Amino acid sequence: MAGKTRYPTGVRPLLIEEAARRRRIEGHFVAELERAGFAEVVLPIIDYAEPYAQIVSADTARQSYRFIDREGDLVAVRSDFTPMVARALAPAIGPSDLPLRVFYRGDVIRCEASRLGANRELFQIGAEIIGDPSPEADVAILEIAAGLPAAFDVRPLVVYNDTAIVSRLLSAFGEPVRSALVTKRLGSLDRARIDAPAFALIERLAGGFASLADVAAWGPLADRAAHLEEIARRLDPATFSLHLDDIEDGFDYYTGIRFRVYDGESRARIAQGGRYDDLYARFGTPAAAIGLTFTIDDLQERRAGAPPAAIGSPGQSLSEVTR
Amino acid sequence: MSLRIAVPKGRLQDNVLAVFSDAGYDVPTESEIRSRRLVFHRDGVEWIVVKDCDVPVYVEHGAADAGVAGLDQILEHGCSAYQPVEMPFGRCRMMLIGAPEAARLADERNAKVATKYPRITRQYLESRGLRAEVIPLGGSVELAAVLNLTSHVVDLVETGETVRIHRLVVEDTVAEISPRLIVGRGIYRTERARMRELIARVETTLSARTAAFLGRKG
Repeated sequence: MAGKTRYPTGVRPLLIEEAARRRRIEGHFVAELERAGFAEVVLPIIDYAEPYAQIVSADTARQSYRFIDREGDLVAVRSDFTPMVARALAPAIGPSDLPLRVFYRGDVIRCEASRLGANRELFQIGAEIIGDPSPEADVAILEIAAGLPAAFDVRPLVVYNDTAIVSRLLSAFGEPVRSALVTKRLGSLDRARIDAPAFALIERLAGGFASLADVAAWGPLADRAAHLEEIARRLDPATFSLHLDDIEDGFDYYTGIRFRVYDGESRARIAQGGRYDDLYARFGTPAAAIGLTFTIDDLQERRAGAPPAAIGSPGQSLSEVTR
Repeated sequence: MSLRIAVPKGRLQDNVLAVFSDAGYDVPTESEIRSRRLVFHRDGVEWIVVKDCDVPVYVEHGAADAGVAGLDQILEHGCSAYQPVEMPFGRCRMMLIGAPEAARLADERNAKVATKYPRITRQYLESRGLRAEVIPLGGSVELAAVLNLTSHVVDLVETGETVRIHRLVVEDTVAEISPRLIVGRGIYRTERARMRELIARVETTLSARTAAFLGRKG
């Protein structure tokens, strides 16, 4: 008998019921995406690390499994589909191909050993609209993100923001702005170095009560405020919520809209996405792009429910405590 | 769904509960906390009292919506929660400290750093371009330098008394540490109004305390 009875941290087999459940979700997602005009691309599970070196953050790079292959090249196991889609498509597309709708599916492998209960092998389905920088494309992806899980008894809540707000504030006033906005404390900011409309915006973002009018009041962000207003006007506020004060620690390749999809009941995150208008240019073909990714296991676990397990207090289960 | 708040056991516990109490929350009593119960339900809030190092873990993974944790634990766990309020108590410094006979870390040929904070220590060494072997320890970290297990330690310093008694040498401040109210990103996104209310109540309480303190001094 084999010595090791368990699997490595973060991976596990899906047996008959779970496998069937995953395939049902996958089948529904693929059918819906094809109906919406998306065509499938299939990507390799490994690739050289070098083409992505300037694109992903050090933290993201650390999450990927890397090894030296027999030819002596540094190779990484797929940990993020989006840059791989750009690398694959950029050399193959021309202006007449755009806008282009594609989708992909498969596993990504991430080394997140310190994350409690985090899977290392994640089955994802994602979709992108390439070559369309308009608010209409943003709205289309956001509506797909909310629409796909609705068939699985999920009341989606989509929270979105625009990474350009913080990135332009950072460009103008430096790193302390990020710290102030992420921690939501302004103590480290040098007020004398920041013009009044920008400081008012930072103060209101940190305080959680910024409006699009505050964003528009700082000249360099007027165009983003108009873009966000256009998007918000087209979306149902019961499902889509603009959170200007939802500040990212890092952007990786995102340049515009950034969103997450939550199960409105359990509050678990089930999908995410955003706009990355500079990514394709890094692989030789300038093209705006926006996409989304569902991690199917997250949705699957939401739907499967967790069996209760006693942890000491009568009547109290592990799932109650850990929600 | 009720709000779940994680309170750190130990030296911060009483101060933290007092802040929430002053903010109008019905908090569990000391005798209740000493019992073996795990969760305390009060007026729409579930209180859990956990080790201070575990607060960021509970909040990061959504098992608690908010909590109070020291910046040392927040950084060590790579916790991405928002930190909207800094508490005025329990402040200290995380410092790089050398053994009595050790050279400065940059000059030490066989530098070893003992610490309860291996992640922060590695980031600090990397940011300063320093090379040293990091030795994770569970407690009494200064002892490692006193007994020459390592040339240096990275640890919290409150009064500096231990450093003085053992003739250890403070080399650098790694970080200014303070306890913070932390709020999980997921809950902040999905229950923003409730979380803003929590933050505002704690902020208002601390501002009122500061004003009262300054009034007494004036």
